[in-house]
Amino acid sequence: MVIHQTPGSKVVAPLRDAPAVAGHTGGISARMSERRTTGAASTAGSSAGDARTALWLMAPALALYATFTLLPIAATFWLSFNSSAGFNTSASFVGFDNYAKAAQDPIVWKSLVHTFLWLAYHVVMAGGLGLLLALAVSRLRITQVFFRTAFFLPHLVSLAVVGVIWANIYDPFFGLLNTALTRIGLGAFTQGWLSDPALVLFSVNVASSWQGFGLYMLLFIAGLQNIDRSLYDAAEVDGANAFQKLIYVTLPGLREVTTFVVSLAMINGLKGFATVFVMTNGGPFYQSELITTYIYRLAFQSQNHGLAAVLCILLSLLAITITILFNRWRARLSQ
Amino acid sequence: MLKFLARSTALVAMIAASSLAHAETLKMWGPEQITEPLVAQLWNGIKADFEKANPGVTVEFMPPTGTISNGAVQAVIQSDAGPDVILTNSGIGRISVVRNAKQVMPLTEQYEKRGWKDEIYPWLYTELKGQFGGEIYEVPDGLDALGIWYHKDIFEKAGWKIPATWTEFEALTKSIQETGLQPIAIGPRTTGSAGHLFGNLLQSASGKEVIGKALRREIAWDDPSVAAGAIRLQNLVEAGTIKKEMAGLDLDGASRLWFNKRAAMFVAGPWFTANARKAGYDLANAGYAPMPSDIKGAAIPTGGVGWSWLVPVNSRQPELAMKWIDFMLSDAVMKKRAQDPASTMIYPREIPGVEPPTPVLKDIFAAAAGGVGYNPSVYLPGIVLDTYFQVIQGLISGQVGGEDGMKQIQAKMAEAK
Repeated sequence: MVIHQTPGSKVVAPLRDAPAVAGHTGGISARMSERRTTGAASTAGSSAGDARTALWLMAPALALYATFTLLPIAATFWLSFNSSAGFNTSASFVGFDNYAKAAQDPIVWKSLVHTFLWLAYHVVMAGGLGLLLALAVSRLRITQVFFRTAFFLPHLVSLAVVGVIWANIYDPFFGLLNTALTRIGLGAFTQGWLSDPALVLFSVNVASSWQGFGLYMLLFIAGLQNIDRSLYDAAEVDGANAFQKLIYVTLPGLREVTTFVVSLAMINGLKGFATVFVMTNGGPFYQSELITTYIYRLAFQSQNHGLAAVLCILLSLLAITITILFNRWRARLSQ
Repeated sequence: MLKFLARSTALVAMIAASSLAHAETLKMWGPEQITEPLVAQLWNGIKADFEKANPGVTVEFMPPTGTISNGAVQAVIQSDAGPDVILTNSGIGRISVVRNAKQVMPLTEQYEKRGWKDEIYPWLYTELKGQFGGEIYEVPDGLDALGIWYHKDIFEKAGWKIPATWTEFEALTKSIQETGLQPIAIGPRTTGSAGHLFGNLLQSASGKEVIGKALRREIAWDDPSVAAGAIRLQNLVEAGTIKKEMAGLDLDGASRLWFNKRAAMFVAGPWFTANARKAGYDLANAGYAPMPSDIKGAAIPTGGVGWSWLVPVNSRQPELAMKWIDFMLSDAVMKKRAQDPASTMIYPREIPGVEPPTPVLKDIFAAAAGGVGYNPSVYLPGIVLDTYFQVIQGLISGQVGGEDGMKQIQAKMAEAK
């Protein structure tokens, strides 16, 4: 007697009088096998039909995706190997010339460094402020909705408008910031916020972060609401103070939200354009030039589409690399 | 009954279709100040006159979102949903950008066919003919004449006047500085504004002839005879005559400083009357004089073609666009514009018997009567312009010296060759 056992299954006794039922069971299995074959054929037929239907249903979305995403990506690659002064001119193949020009262009390197700095400022200022305000606002009872709304409001303002507002705040002669500093006796701290080469990128980023922190704050508040209250109770029982609760309960509880916010802030940081374009146009003397603003300048002001395409590819590679590295770091952290 | 209804519907549809077939819309990218009531009033009047003269035609204004310098004109043409005719800041440098990108139509044939060549100053026509090997891509609408604007009351009270020589001018700026006023306001974040003062300084230091040679590449930009103007700007910044903080200002910010009488002088053209009016500044108090120079004959305004009409290659109404330009060049429209209080420029031909509407415009016309010098922002090739403007910002923010800055411009000029 053979006892059949499959891993994880209960021990099953073999059928008694097996030979007697062999013919019977053989008939059943033959019928079952036949049914299985027919079923498989019909399943194959229906899944092929399903696939066709799915393809038809997806066709509009795929067509849009191909037209507005894949085709422009292909066109950008094509442009990067061509010299073109615009869409109405014939392009000539130049091989890797545009890539070589980009590598030799000091403004490309300058704007690359500025882009990294911009990204770091944005993650720290917008993300950091979002977290701090979330921690503060989530403690409020009656006024929480008011402050949540108030802090989120800047996010609803267009970045171009934010640029205009902050350019006026930073005006060295009439601006709110320098006037306020002078009025409170801190005139020595007044600055040329948009003219000082060491300050300009930071100053513009403050404006950009001011517009962005509201969204991050809301995400952090949502994260805070998901932290199990009993963990705080347990920490209290263990005698933890407020700071220890923040370090050992709140921040670990916000890990998922934090990684999401950092990813989002990095992507938004890489996309930085509008505030710089409105507030400084990359100046003074390229001190706030980002890859994005330089791309715009090359493509639409100098009509150098080939070089602009190379920088678009560079920016995309940068975004992909940063995302991969960040995700790996995140995976390692959660292990 | 049903038959009657069907016939009526068909008739109405036919009438509607035929009227639609005759209705034409000319989309026009208009002047920058079209949102200003006084300017809007003038342009709405011109639009009404044109529509009256061309039954079935509607003119639609597209408020401009920028210029060739900031890429807005190129972007709107590339969108293929742009205007049929464009009025924008021009000059060979800017026009070469859209011409090289094949975004605008050549208009040379129209100059002959429609007699436009006789409707602008002969010297202007010669200049345009010499720019692109005989092909012309623009029809000038207005000329610029850049010089110093000052407050008559402040100058009178302090006993100041715009002197004739550079040495005296430096002394004047020192006297102004001692009173706590900013001697010169500039907003280099707006590229044009940066170029206005710099062009004045270049001409004042080197003379019109030398700057003309540099623009024609007969002299290098880093040649000491050309670089002198850049060194002057560097010196003005180092002396505190122009504050480094001004590198963070745009045209509006710098104008605000001048309109509020916290700055004594501002370099601008006749178009500044529109800004002044908008700011509520009393135009009767505005004085105008060319930038002083030690070189004989160099104390004249800088300028060139300021605004031009362009026809995009993808204009849906090219014939109507030409008709519009015809109309704008007509005596009736020219006179109407020149006499209107909203007038802000020097017109491309002499308009006899027309008095400028404001005293400051009268001063500007008088200063420009003997001709104007070069505003390099208008004449430099498009590829060089960005470096040119960034160098000016670098000079004002103290990041680059005059000689180094001019070397960078020269390198770009060599590249543009």
